Amino acid sequence: MSPAAITALVVLGFAVMLVRRRSLATLLVSAQAMVLGIAALSLARGRPTDFLVAAIILLVRAVALPALLTFTRRRTPEPYLVIPATTVLVRLVLAATVVLIAAVSIPPLGLGDRPAEHAAVALLSLGIAIVVMRRPALLQVLGILVAENGIYLLAISVPGGLPFVIELGVLFDLVLVVTVAAAFTHKIHGEVGSGDTDLLRALRD
Amino acid sequence: MARLARATPTSCGHFVTDAVGPLIAATLAVPLSAALLVGLMPTPGAADRLNLATSTLTAALALALAAAAIAAAPDVASRGSWYVLDVASGVFLAVVAVVGIASAAMSVFYLRHAGRSWFTARRSHAWYYAAFNIFWAVLLALPLADNLAIAWLLIEATTAASALLVAFSGKRSALEAGWKYVVLTTLGLSIALLGIVVVYVAVGSDGSGLGRLDWQALTQHANELPHELTLFAFVLVLVGLASKIGWAPVHNWLPDAHSEAPPPVSALLSAALLPTVLLIAWRTKLALEPALGSGAVQKLFIGFGLASLLVAIPFLWRPLPWKRLLAYSSLEHMGVLALGIGFGTTLAIAGVVIHVAGHALAKALGFYTAIPLLREDRRTADAPARGIARTSPTTATAMSVSLFSLAGLPPSPLFVSEVMILLGGMQAGLLAVSSIAAVLLALGFLGLAHSLLEGLFGGKKGPHRRPSRSVQAIALLAGIAAVALLGLTAIAYALPGSDIVEALMRSGA
Repeated sequence: MSPAAITALVVLGFAVMLVRRRSLATLLVSAQAMVLGIAALSLARGRPTDFLVAAIILLVRAVALPALLTFTRRRTPEPYLVIPATTVLVRLVLAATVVLIAAVSIPPLGLGDRPAEHAAVALLSLGIAIVVMRRPALLQVLGILVAENGIYLLAISVPGGLPFVIELGVLFDLVLVVTVAAAFTHKIHGEVGSGDTDLLRALRD
Repeated sequence: MARLARATPTSCGHFVTDAVGPLIAATLAVPLSAALLVGLMPTPGAADRLNLATSTLTAALALALAAAAIAAAPDVASRGSWYVLDVASGVFLAVVAVVGIASAAMSVFYLRHAGRSWFTARRSHAWYYAAFNIFWAVLLALPLADNLAIAWLLIEATTAASALLVAFSGKRSALEAGWKYVVLTTLGLSIALLGIVVVYVAVGSDGSGLGRLDWQALTQHANELPHELTLFAFVLVLVGLASKIGWAPVHNWLPDAHSEAPPPVSALLSAALLPTVLLIAWRTKLALEPALGSGAVQKLFIGFGLASLLVAIPFLWRPLPWKRLLAYSSLEHMGVLALGIGFGTTLAIAGVVIHVAGHALAKALGFYTAIPLLREDRRTADAPARGIARTSPTTATAMSVSLFSLAGLPPSPLFVSEVMILLGGMQAGLLAVSSIAAVLLALGFLGLAHSLLEGLFGGKKGPHRRPSRSVQAIALLAGIAAVALLGLTAIAYALPGSDIVEALMRSGA
């Protein structure tokens, strides 16, 4: 994969960590999936089955899932922007630290494309960091998608690709999980009047 | 030692092999069809009846498969394109089938007085049974999976259906528990998937595609795999699966989900989901062990085991609501199983088998007991139970059978299995680990016994309550569970050295 595409993927991941608006974050994740999808299509040229699978994945990840999350966002209007638990600078520094530690500490994964390996692990770490540091439920779902995009980057970088049973199976599971998470987002909003997961802190021992 | 199982005669063996494929298809098709059909039922009562009928059929089919698998020990009964029917799948299928049918039966009593739910009152039974059956079908498929990637797909597929069930009541606390469960386990499984991709790459391109991740193929290639990379991948897979098994320190969702889910679902989560995912961790360990060396793998399992015990034990001493107490007990028992698998000796593995089955029976009974308990006194949802022996002697008896078994009081099979696992640790030369675990288990026993006595006899004197129909059902289940638990204790003495344990020492290979 080209260095520009890899850089774009990581920059888009960082941007999801930083922005406050759910609509913008959804667009950023959609753009990230689009970059990945186009890369997958170009890698699958000349292999019709792989090309078809890559096209399906692109449509679902870059169009269908963001559309579902946009629909969910419209059904859960926030009366005010949820105040982030930390400032932009703190989030940026923490995210950069997590990503650096993760990327530096992994051994070569055997793909023969070290930048893609680093970027995949960076996106997975960023996804986890987004879930930990962002309070709105929808942003946490986007964090899961950023992490999954990291895994997909690794999958398309495997020489010869992964078997399509795995790729489509992972996609099916992702759609299920995001659909259920969207339903939760709607229900949480209905119950507490906001998608702020910090308001759900009743279960403590 | 007695040979508990012998290979089936050749003609019978052929019959079993031929019938396995259709039998597996039917075992999975029945609950999946039920998930669709319950939506067509005109009344909640009709949905209850349909679910009971299909659940009975599902359990019968699954138990037939389990019997065929165990009868073929130490051989593999059958192997297909994606499945393997070996002793391990047989044991875990039986556990999932028994807990599933019991949960299906107890769901009727739960739903009768469930009150508000996520869904409208008219459709709540249909949605509940649809999610229940999908969850159960995936759980039944999981022990049969003959491939690491397919197992991962099935584990991830459990998340969606079970999360809806966890939050079924629609209460704020249930939504919190369900949300935590979805987010944490999905992220954990992403880490596991990263590890699986790395294993796939490490195994190399031999043109077999998905087949590279079959348990048998992994075992065959394991000697050629690079040690460090495989260890890195294995750590990722194990950490990811740990988040679903509920091992400390990645267990945060477990106490919340188990305590907030409807009791029959809590039973499925604790007694079926956690051990079944643990089976996949176990199969991965056995498949990759030649590349990793037993030392590193052993340390990882023992680390998770001791951490889970250390985190769980203090909570067993605290005055917690009944279901939350059972949830922390699940954490403790998953820790014990991790130790058993980590020790890996024949004695420890025999202990693991008994522990999985005994824990399932006792824990499921404990969660079902919450149905009459919560109905008779709503406060027990958020506060510890008190004085139950005075207000409802039948419920108190069921609580005692469950908690004394879970605590490991003789003649509970969990006492025998814990002793076997600890002796297995000593057999493996890990005297210090076994000693620490023994001390922690003793503390856990005292904590649970203290909680039970407080629950039965503590607090102010309350009015004696007339037994409801759910109490009568619990009395029946407690009787069946007590007999089954004693039966397991008897089996435990004959298990070490049997064909079953011999087969489990190389599950999947």
